[in-house]
Amino acid sequence: MADLFAWLISFFLLIVLLVLVTFQLMCLADLEFDYINPYDSSTRINRVVMPEFITQAVLFCFYLASRHWIMALFCIPCLLFNIRLYRRRMHLIDVTEIFNMLSWEKKHRLIKLFYLVFTLFLSVFWMIYTSLDQ
Amino acid sequence: MGTENPARPTFPSRPAVTPFSSTGPVAGSEPPSYRPTPAAPPPAATPFSSAGPAAARPGFRPAPPARFNDPSVAPPPRASTPGGPYQQFPAAPFPPTTQQQRGPIMGQASQAPPFPTSLPAQPQMPFVPMGSPPPQSAAPPHLGSNAPPPTFQPTFPGYPNKPPGAEMQPPPMHSNFPPNQGNYGPVPPAAPSPFMSHQGGYAPAPPMAPPVGMQPPASVPPMGAVQALAEDFNALTMQTRPGTMDPLFDPKELPRPLEGDVEPKILVDMYPMNCSPRYLRLTTSAVPSSQSLASRWHLPLGAVVCPLAEPPDGEEVPIVNFAPASVVRCRRCRTYVNPYMTFTEAGRKFRCNVCTLLNDVPSEYYAQLDASGKRVDINQRPELTKGTVEFVAPAEYMVRAPMPPVYFFLIDVSISAVRSGMIEVVANTIKSCLDELPGFPRTQIGFATFDSTIHFYNMKSSLTQPQMLVVSDLDDIFIPLPDDLLVNLSESRSVVETFLDSLPTMFQDNVNLESAFGPALKSAFMVMSQLGGKLLIFQNSLPSLGVGRLRLRGDDSRVYGTDKEHGLRLPEDPFYKQMAAEFSKYQISTNVYAFSDKYTDIASLGTLAKYTAGQVYYYPAFQSAIHGEKLRHELRRDLTRETAWEAVMRIRCAKGVRFTTYHGNFMLRSTDLLALPAVDCDKAFAMQLSLEETLLTTQTMYFQVALLYTASCGERRIRVHTMAVPVVTELADIYRLADTGAIVSLLSRLAIEKSLSQKLEDARTGVQLRIVKALREYRNLYAVQHRLANRMIYPESLKFLMLYGLALCRSTALRGGYGDVPLDERCAAGHIIMTVSIKRLLKLLYPSLIRLDEYLLKASVQADDLKSIERRLPLTGESLDSRGLYIYDDGFRCIIWFGRVISPDIAKNLLGADFAAELSKTTLGEHDNEMSRRLMRVLEKLRNTDRAYYQLSHLVRQGEQPKEGFLLLGNLVEDQMGGNSGYAEWMLQISRQVQQS
Repeated sequence: MADLFAWLISFFLLIVLLVLVTFQLMCLADLEFDYINPYDSSTRINRVVMPEFITQAVLFCFYLASRHWIMALFCIPCLLFNIRLYRRRMHLIDVTEIFNMLSWEKKHRLIKLFYLVFTLFLSVFWMIYTSLDQ
Repeated sequence: MGTENPARPTFPSRPAVTPFSSTGPVAGSEPPSYRPTPAAPPPAATPFSSAGPAAARPGFRPAPPARFNDPSVAPPPRASTPGGPYQQFPAAPFPPTTQQQRGPIMGQASQAPPFPTSLPAQPQMPFVPMGSPPPQSAAPPHLGSNAPPPTFQPTFPGYPNKPPGAEMQPPPMHSNFPPNQGNYGPVPPAAPSPFMSHQGGYAPAPPMAPPVGMQPPASVPPMGAVQALAEDFNALTMQTRPGTMDPLFDPKELPRPLEGDVEPKILVDMYPMNCSPRYLRLTTSAVPSSQSLASRWHLPLGAVVCPLAEPPDGEEVPIVNFAPASVVRCRRCRTYVNPYMTFTEAGRKFRCNVCTLLNDVPSEYYAQLDASGKRVDINQRPELTKGTVEFVAPAEYMVRAPMPPVYFFLIDVSISAVRSGMIEVVANTIKSCLDELPGFPRTQIGFATFDSTIHFYNMKSSLTQPQMLVVSDLDDIFIPLPDDLLVNLSESRSVVETFLDSLPTMFQDNVNLESAFGPALKSAFMVMSQLGGKLLIFQNSLPSLGVGRLRLRGDDSRVYGTDKEHGLRLPEDPFYKQMAAEFSKYQISTNVYAFSDKYTDIASLGTLAKYTAGQVYYYPAFQSAIHGEKLRHELRRDLTRETAWEAVMRIRCAKGVRFTTYHGNFMLRSTDLLALPAVDCDKAFAMQLSLEETLLTTQTMYFQVALLYTASCGERRIRVHTMAVPVVTELADIYRLADTGAIVSLLSRLAIEKSLSQKLEDARTGVQLRIVKALREYRNLYAVQHRLANRMIYPESLKFLMLYGLALCRSTALRGGYGDVPLDERCAAGHIIMTVSIKRLLKLLYPSLIRLDEYLLKASVQADDLKSIERRLPLTGESLDSRGLYIYDDGFRCIIWFGRVISPDIAKNLLGADFAAELSKTTLGEHDNEMSRRLMRVLEKLRNTDRAYYQLSHLVRQGEQPKEGFLLLGNLVEDQMGGNSGYAEWMLQISRQVQQS
């Protein structure tokens, strides 16, 4: 039973992550099509960057705590990438250079999105698997 | 497209090509058009124009430019018959321009007739430039022997009949390069001609009418056989003595831009309704028709825009007011009405030249069309005949009421500022400019000073004395008074004057060392955020208190050459970027004046200017006695020049092409909208474009720059520059139409940006690599047919590119490493390069060196004698004679160089009694004698040619002052110096890399 709960929690954490990343992507797309100005876009994105990073870290710790080593392993690349961004002070969007960085910012968020969707599927799979098992 | 274009005829036979017929009504005789494909032209092909026709319709063609740019020169000649049309062929193909050769070039028009008709007898060979010296003879004499008789040259440069020099060329060095140049060519039937076929791309199109009024001498070259090779390259033999690095060519023959910047004239003739190149220049005056073609053009493809460039006297930008109607624009692409829009359906509709949408003409703007399809009121409508106009913008172009001009001064009053005398100069200059500030009577002005506290000044008009309000809480900044810190100048004039009078004395005993720059900046922002405007910062020390404090960096030589090196050139504290973004949002433009003799972190402070369309002025180790004059002039210029407020700029172009990156001082507000809180005539912006569609189907591409701004008088205006350029299908045409000035400007900006994210070394290699790639591609165009082993070939249009590339790598911003240039000076130079116009940049990269002593010693001087001093010398140590007096002028400073054995007379007259003293401590003043007055006149003339910066003169005596001597010697870009290569060596490097492919 505990296992099922563990999978459920990880599922919700992943959903939160997905929502956060999608929101950032939407802001960037809006900016590109000139629906919002760079100031608003960057403040909106910057507001959710840290929550996203923290959720990601929590998810990793949670997998470790619940001894789902494989899933924890899957989390490592994303976590490392986040840490690298943070250490280089590149995690926040710089409003002055936002248009020059636009393609890069979009690309790395898209990749993150696919990666999250993939982990989500895995997680759902394990959740169903354990629930059927019991 | 552009068919019934007003002011120019339509060609019933080929309506689609009109845009190319730049020359008016008589153009019927020369139906020029753009050659769509390199298909074989019909025999009747008429050259675009020629010397003959030019004479026939003098009214349409401005005096043909003396040099290669003459667009009237014929299209790729297909004939071996040298007809009249080619007589005007300018001497462009001369590779290295020596003085000897240049003379005749200038006189080409008059010398044209002697062109012999014996050309057919010539062996059919491609043009091989004469100038390439025989490899062995590095000695000067070969020049004479090699060059053909002068009269022969101008008309007939490429055809050394019985090659005069070639036979003397000892072949050993290149056995594959036979002495007789005739051997060059198993070239196709048609003898490629030496003529500058700069217009090759616009060769008459196939289905063309036979030449009508062609000149008799034009035994028109209708040898239609094959589209002849239209080469017009220059070549240089690039070899070294085996085993050494000694060049085997004469460095004197390398091309040098001794005439400074030459604006491209080609388009002016082809599209007379284009805006002047002063405002908009493309790196190549053509747009490649396909992505694959664009990818073969390795140089930047883009534009340099100077939207408010100063027009010459007597020429003004017409102002058009559509009131009560709105501004006429295309419904879909929002292009403003321009000369290339065509009116149809009896004047009720107009077709947009950019997106080809058929729009309705607003009823207020309706006018009938005359028989030729032109509007009857075309002569009263400057927007339909001129490439540059200003529209008065109605209320829908305003977000708020037009702002008044606002000037806010933030002045450092710490001890170092007081000691340098900066405050006094600034206060006096501002006071003297009060009458000339633009926008009277709406102008607003305000002041704040800071050391470890911030001082505001209440200048309410009812006061007699300004009131000082001190804020010492740096963590929680507040504004002591809501109003009255920024006051209307005309109302509070006397208070402002009193304040400026007392400012220098107010702080003369200040011993405060600190600088609360960040908090002061924030408070200035609070004061200004209501209106926006211009913030002038006078900073004399490193910000040390409160938010935005900076630390010393850049004195660690170990960082250079590592991956962290570029960090030194970036702002250290994100505070500055945030502030810059806020400033830009609230329409505040920041100009930074930095004065310190120590490190002030221009990299961080400059960020404020970078994103707010501002400017950085740096006066290292400012001393009012020495640098005061420079500051006075530049501050005055800054305050009094015409400024456009709260501006935004956008450049539009037709579908298929898109501007992707922008380079300069501004902030992007959306993908293609440049926010410019304040912009003036001294700022230029560069942008790169890319092709979005694999193939462009149109034949002409239109660019339109629109700058929406508030004029100082309070009127909202739109300045529109429109330019049409041809779309070309041949790489050779792109090279032919290249504009070195614009290319260098874009290359420099890219290199500076690269230096912000990579090592200096990488930035320099990047420049070199791009030049090499471009030349390699060009070589591939020609090398196969011509077997040009060991020769470097380059297009006439890019002959100075290599030298400018070298000069860029050796410029203050990019040269060397840690020890070569102090970090602050490097960053300041980078900021200058990012803002200046093309002309100024080229002068900065390749300054002028002029010999003066002969002029000074001349017995009598007429007014026009000043012209004689305009002869610029190559920037090499060999130009300096120790008996001479030279002046080196890069537009930002002058260096006056006294030769070691200069006649004491000159020195005495110019320097007065202390002529033997050490020159670094002497300033140049006028003395009461003719010679000194003449020198002053020369200096004044140099300064007046460009008022944006003031050239402070430094005096240097040969061999005496090692440090100052380096000022000049280090800047002789053609000489080898330290780790930098000289011109000859640089050319060798490039040539070698080009051939390595």
